[in-house]
Amino acid sequence: MQSISELMASAKSEIKKIKTLPELEGYEIEYLGRNGRINVVLEDIKNIPTEKRKEFGKSVNLAKTTIQELIKNKQKDLVSQEDKGQFIDITLPGRKYPKGSLHPVTTTIEEISKIFEKIGFIRMSYPEVEWEYYSFESLNMPIGHPARDDFETFFLDFAEDKKYGKMLLTPHTSSGQVREMLRVAKSEARGKQSPIRMINIAKCYRPNWDVTHTPMFHQFEGLCVDKNINITHLKGTIDYFAKKFFGEAREIRLRPHHFQFTEPSFEIDVSCGVCFGKGEINGKKCKVCKSGWLELAGSGLVHPNVLKSGGIDPEKYSGWAFGFGVERAMMMKEDLQLNDMRVLYNGDIRFLEQF
Amino acid sequence: MNIKLSYNWIKEYLETDATPQQVQKYLSLSGPSVEKITKVGNDYIFDVEITSNRIDTVSVIGFAREAAAILPRYDIKAKFKDLKVGEPTIPEKKLPLKIDDPKKLTRRLLGVVMFDVELGSSPLYIEERLQACDVRSLNNVIDITNYVMLETGHPTHVFDYDRVKTTELILRKAKSGEKLVTLDGKEMQLTENDVVIDDGTGRIVDLPGIMGTENSVVTNATRRIIFFIESNNPYVIRQTSMRLGLRSMAATINEKRPDPNLAKTAFLRGIELFEKISKAKVGSEIVDIYPKPLRPTQLKISLDFLNAKTGIKLSPQEIVNILESLGFGVKKTANIFTIEVPTFRVEDVSIPEDIVEEVARVYGYHNLPNVLPPPVYLQSPKEAEELFAIQTKIKYFLKNLGLREVLNYSMISKEMLDANDLGKVQQLRLKNSISEEISYMRRFLLPSLIKNIKDNEGKKDTLRFFEISKTYKPTESELPVEEYKLGIVTNTSFSDLKGIVDALLSELHISESQIQKDNHPLLIVDKQGKVTVGRDRLGEFGQLKTEYRLKNGVKSEVFLAIFDLAMLIKYAKALARYKPINVFASVLLDLTVEETESLNYQKILEIAKKSSKALSEIEFLDKFNNKVTLRLHFSLSNRNITEEEAKEELKDIQNNLSKY
Repeated sequence: MQSISELMASAKSEIKKIKTLPELEGYEIEYLGRNGRINVVLEDIKNIPTEKRKEFGKSVNLAKTTIQELIKNKQKDLVSQEDKGQFIDITLPGRKYPKGSLHPVTTTIEEISKIFEKIGFIRMSYPEVEWEYYSFESLNMPIGHPARDDFETFFLDFAEDKKYGKMLLTPHTSSGQVREMLRVAKSEARGKQSPIRMINIAKCYRPNWDVTHTPMFHQFEGLCVDKNINITHLKGTIDYFAKKFFGEAREIRLRPHHFQFTEPSFEIDVSCGVCFGKGEINGKKCKVCKSGWLELAGSGLVHPNVLKSGGIDPEKYSGWAFGFGVERAMMMKEDLQLNDMRVLYNGDIRFLEQF
Repeated sequence: MNIKLSYNWIKEYLETDATPQQVQKYLSLSGPSVEKITKVGNDYIFDVEITSNRIDTVSVIGFAREAAAILPRYDIKAKFKDLKVGEPTIPEKKLPLKIDDPKKLTRRLLGVVMFDVELGSSPLYIEERLQACDVRSLNNVIDITNYVMLETGHPTHVFDYDRVKTTELILRKAKSGEKLVTLDGKEMQLTENDVVIDDGTGRIVDLPGIMGTENSVVTNATRRIIFFIESNNPYVIRQTSMRLGLRSMAATINEKRPDPNLAKTAFLRGIELFEKISKAKVGSEIVDIYPKPLRPTQLKISLDFLNAKTGIKLSPQEIVNILESLGFGVKKTANIFTIEVPTFRVEDVSIPEDIVEEVARVYGYHNLPNVLPPPVYLQSPKEAEELFAIQTKIKYFLKNLGLREVLNYSMISKEMLDANDLGKVQQLRLKNSISEEISYMRRFLLPSLIKNIKDNEGKKDTLRFFEISKTYKPTESELPVEEYKLGIVTNTSFSDLKGIVDALLSELHISESQIQKDNHPLLIVDKQGKVTVGRDRLGEFGQLKTEYRLKNGVKSEVFLAIFDLAMLIKYAKALARYKPINVFASVLLDLTVEETESLNYQKILEIAKKSSKALSEIEFLDKFNNKVTLRLHFSLSNRNITEEEAKEELKDIQNNLSKY
């Protein structure tokens, strides 16, 4: 039979040798387990005279709590030791995972779509190879009209259509305006006119190829037709878009302009994000903008002749439309300093991998 | 078009204390856009954008009139002082001058002979003003014609009276093939759509409204001139000037229908300046042929209409004030405005919406609130929704596999077609391309993708690109069929490409697809396949034939896959079908099979699945030579399977495989 004092002495000396948590677990079982040394000692109670049993019990209990205390302290000790001295170079690269890239124009288009989706605009897609009629005549630009100069156009080597004219590459997304009006009309019961809230984001083409132009580019067009649509609705929508896309601090303004397919027509500016619309920074002219504003898009109330082309009665309905250059909006948002636009579409991996 | 205007000059017609910066800011907000101001000496030069509908503002006077209407809206004093010109005295002894337009080709013709011209340089202020407006100063006679154009906005012209020889100017249509030499010495060939001026002998002495000719232009010896203004048909001017590439300032103004009444003002102003500066004297009658004088038009618009389009409630008095300040006459009865449109605005203002623009811009667009359109629910066509949704899904997935998205031009070169033997396939050709590189609308993505590899060789070792774009398939007489395709290209390995294809199909939960041998002419015969579901072809993949790799000038091997987006949409599922989780243990057994011509991997799987109902999963472990090693998982749905039972199942599979 082992005395309690011997038990305690060995418990105290053994715990000093323990170096790891599993060892401590073994120690705990050895002393405090079901068949552990404390319980073995306790079994002696039947050999102890009754009057001393109480005292014996007390001292066993004391031994038990002392060991528990030892274990607790040791554990604390070991746990705090466990994570020490495990130096690694945390600045080394981790395991390598593939990282691809999306074209920045794709990312921009997605963002634009989401912004308009939230206010109930549906995204549509219309032909890129289009008839002259949808790109010009239906938009109140008859053959020979000088306004067509603003939309230099690629034509295709293809037989002219008697009704729709020449085949061309659409120079703007506005070609989708009348197509959307006709689509909506077709899906409606006769005499009933559904409202239109559409955006059309697509490739457009114009014969310019230099540092600031690529013969293919992207535009997004917004079209809203309903009863009682007015200028304030256009302003509200553009303002909403500018704040979501460029940032809450941005402001927009409309300036008079002229497009054949809208009346009145406006050019849309957004306040510069670099000089915050002041046009200067510390007394020096802002290099990014024209006196605090950046030109963004063309817009206006849909011309009654365009509504008529789309089979909509301009006496009852009105609407607005706008057209933005996606690349321009993207460059303005990210302050992407592309010194050559052509890099967007020449497929150079050193450009693509940056996004 | 843009025009440069001197602020000092403008101030001759505008009483204001506005700074040039204020003019720039406020005119841009409510009228013509002043894009830039440049300080020149004690003057400021405005660079102004003139939209095609506002040709009335393409002048010092036109700009001053706008400024006078706009500046007071911003609390800046401004008053318009119109040009006042009187009729000249006609001498008793008149030099002969015959001007005629027998075919009524023009709206108005004005002409007068002036003599005793003292040719010389212009006064300094004229030279400076012309220069500031980017017009070259030549001599006082030519300078006056340009000065009057910039000041009034109507182009004018001057002939050497003696060089015209016959004293006659007759308008006629040109004959096809007829030639003329312009005043700057260029020979031009005409068609019967062009209008010319004939001296009565068949000799052309002018291309009216566009440019003078060498044989009638003022020279240093000129002493007598014909001062001449015509209001030619804008359509003819435009067609001729575009075709001949003669885009003179006169032509760009004349094609936009300047007011024929303004022609008279310009004419009188010119005579005044010739008298004053060139010391010339009027030597003939003033010829003025103007069969149908342009008169102001009338337009009615209601207050309700104006309010409905602007979205605010305007005060009727304010509307009247704005319109009057712009030169419109206004009469108001009840809530209807009857508006008289001045002749210099009749080409632009013809419908009530035009009046809305006039009122709203001067009122100030910044004074209108921002309001979102009333919300409506619209059903978006399912095809459109799916098209964009799947594109986004595929793009992100391939990007996360490490591929790079590329956007190529929709047009490709003849060289690219030929390098891939596609020259004979019908493709749409651009009629007026600006570069060989962009001559055809691509019907296939392959040539562009192969070029992506070629162009990037040496820049990075591993090249893996994808593109989702439309292709254009010509039809008989309609617009081409525009189909979205997904193209993938790598320079890595067949296994890498196949892995991408497999992963994509799995991501889209297209589980029922089959791989079959294919016969794509650009791909190596034994290293290509097509992905099908039933009778539908989803796409194809394989390695580019060496022949085409070399023809395209590519050094490394090229692996390509093309999918039809419409087919991927058709079979893609948002979620896979759920299979209940089997709680019973599986037994895993490995199987090595020798592949043969008729027993490929796909076939092995098919046979294995048919042979054993307990086969719950197949893993591909390895392939060595022709031997494929698979790990087969056997399990039962109602109890644990024993090893013996699993081995029995395996034996059945092996038996069935051995028949091939």
